[in-house]
Amino acid sequence: MSFQIPIGPQHPALKEPISLRMTVEGEVITGVDIRLGYNHRGLEKLAEDRNWIQNIYLTERICGICSHSHATCYVQGVERLMELAPPRRGLYIRYLIAELERIHSHLLWLGVAGHEAGFDSFFMYTWRDREVVMDLLEMISGNRVHYAINTIGGVRRDLDAGQIAKIQEGIVTLRKRSEYYFYIGANEPSFVARIAGVGYLSKENAVALCAVGPVARASGVARDVRKDDPWAVYDEVDFEVATADSCDVLGRVVVRVKELLESYKICEQLLKSLPAGDIAVKAPRKAKPGEVVSRYEAPRGENIHYIKANGTDKPERLKVRAPTLANYPATVEMLRKGFIADIPLIFAAIDPCICCAERTVTLIAAGSGEESVVRMSDLRRRAIARHQNAPVKRNAVWPL
Amino acid sequence: MPDIEIVENLKRDLGEKALELSNPGVRRIFLGVAPRDLLPAVTLLRDKYDCAYLATISGLDKGDSFELLYHFASPAVNINLRTEIPKSAPSIASICAVIPGAVLYERELQDMFGILVEGLPDPRPLVLPDDWPAGNYPLRKDWKFERPQEVIPGGKS
Amino acid sequence: MLNKLARWSRIKSPWILHLNSGACNACDIEIIAALTPRFDVERFGILLRATPRHADVIIASGPVTRQMRDRIIRIYDQVPDPKFVIAVGACAMSGCVYRGAYNSLGGIDQVIPVNIYVPGCPARPDAIIDGVVKLLGKL
Repeated sequence: MSFQIPIGPQHPALKEPISLRMTVEGEVITGVDIRLGYNHRGLEKLAEDRNWIQNIYLTERICGICSHSHATCYVQGVERLMELAPPRRGLYIRYLIAELERIHSHLLWLGVAGHEAGFDSFFMYTWRDREVVMDLLEMISGNRVHYAINTIGGVRRDLDAGQIAKIQEGIVTLRKRSEYYFYIGANEPSFVARIAGVGYLSKENAVALCAVGPVARASGVARDVRKDDPWAVYDEVDFEVATADSCDVLGRVVVRVKELLESYKICEQLLKSLPAGDIAVKAPRKAKPGEVVSRYEAPRGENIHYIKANGTDKPERLKVRAPTLANYPATVEMLRKGFIADIPLIFAAIDPCICCAERTVTLIAAGSGEESVVRMSDLRRRAIARHQNAPVKRNAVWPL
Repeated sequence: MPDIEIVENLKRDLGEKALELSNPGVRRIFLGVAPRDLLPAVTLLRDKYDCAYLATISGLDKGDSFELLYHFASPAVNINLRTEIPKSAPSIASICAVIPGAVLYERELQDMFGILVEGLPDPRPLVLPDDWPAGNYPLRKDWKFERPQEVIPGGKS
Repeated sequence: MLNKLARWSRIKSPWILHLNSGACNACDIEIIAALTPRFDVERFGILLRATPRHADVIIASGPVTRQMRDRIIRIYDQVPDPKFVIAVGACAMSGCVYRGAYNSLGGIDQVIPVNIYVPGCPARPDAIIDGVVKLLGKL
């Protein structure tokens, strides 16, 4: 007897509106339908009326958690259109902030994953540690989120010796605390057992459905724009692409934890070899006609901007594709054959940046068409209760 | 494999189907085909050039025609496939049979430009709201939006 | 007498509902950061609730998108009286950078009546706590 469950726009657990309608048979999901559009703000049309500098502020506000990644992807492209070569010091500062943003985003996500799995103290610990990164970002740029540090031709603020020392201290603290999280992962079998085997996405499906970011890397597809298409400083620092083979939520957690460690390494290298010099070059008002495709590895996956210029001071076309949109077909595939109780966890595991979506789950009875709205928090409570009573999976192993 | 070799291979494989082939920057190749050669070109890119990954599809309104850009990426290079369709008959074949992940991008093209994508497994609108008046395609250049005056509660309106 | 007791309990522990009407998420993570150990609103008795029917205060962010408009009105109707609305962030106040976009209505007060406006892009958690405390002072 199939049911259809709508998971609707206003959702208590996570922050953005998206609507999913799941067709279920008993507890197993057989079909998923995603309704987007609650967060569609008409950005691409707005971008055609603003000039190049104003668009930096517009692209920053596409997303709050990955704001620097959208702004950097845009500015990279425009600098190539205008044929500017920003100075090395400016580039190092820009990508240092990019790695700090990746650290803050992964810590945020670890907290959210802990919250969805029922581990609230983990949520409080990671968000307390995130405050260390937020303080560093505020010291550098003046704001905790939306640090408008990019400008066309470089960056706007410089780092002095005192700030560099503070950043290095902060990274040492964070590294010690992150190692405590690995200790938790290795020694908390109930946490690992909760997330192992959930949300399976095979490698062939990850390739066919064009998944990006940690979702693809946890299925063994080693796709990372920082290695495939390195822009500016990424071919001068030494780091590895983190992958995992378990294709489930445990793999995604492991990939993000490994990426945290790699980001600490990259930040230390950038700080150690920060070159002296200017931080920006002057940019012209108008750009010559042309087009550019700019790609960047945001914390959630690949960000791609396509910019076309027609010789004036406004872009002819700005096309933005954020990484979470690319992961939707893969999410539909992951949710199929899963349990209703796992919906919040699977959805949180793709790290949805739904400045883009709202989630409420609506269960629609496939047979009779009746609808019953189930809140995500109810689902989470049901999930936690169900797993407390289920036997612990003895063979789930923490691979780090 | 460096860009020059890939350009040579493409020229050899596509022959005169490639209306445009350029390499404007490092790891960026722009390739132009006619709409009827779209599916064979996409199949060739997926099978021989390791481009199973479609990043996105961009649409552009050029006045009396629409230009569609399919952005593919392989670990070595980015290949951007361009095709043009007239505004009077805006329709293009869907590539979902070859690349299943393209479905959301084609739905967005339908919403924003009014292009009819044939053979799409799920042709519903993607991002526009439920009460959007039909026939309004926001990203066309001739569509302008007049903002209604906002009401300031408790103040002068 | 019972009125005074009810008012005292409402001031001492308002329960809030978080509503995102299409925002970029920055204000939302600052609202959640207000719950974390650094800023800690739970010491004021403020709890984040799941459903509108349990809430006293709606904290809303985001420039309202057309799709969300009817849902916001429905949620506002579901919150029992007396209810208060706090609009957080520049988007919720007047639309921020999205003013003039075809799909955004330009602020929460175009749809539901608002009691407190907290400016910022995004508003800092300290400012959000300040806004909530000022609201409690008005009660």
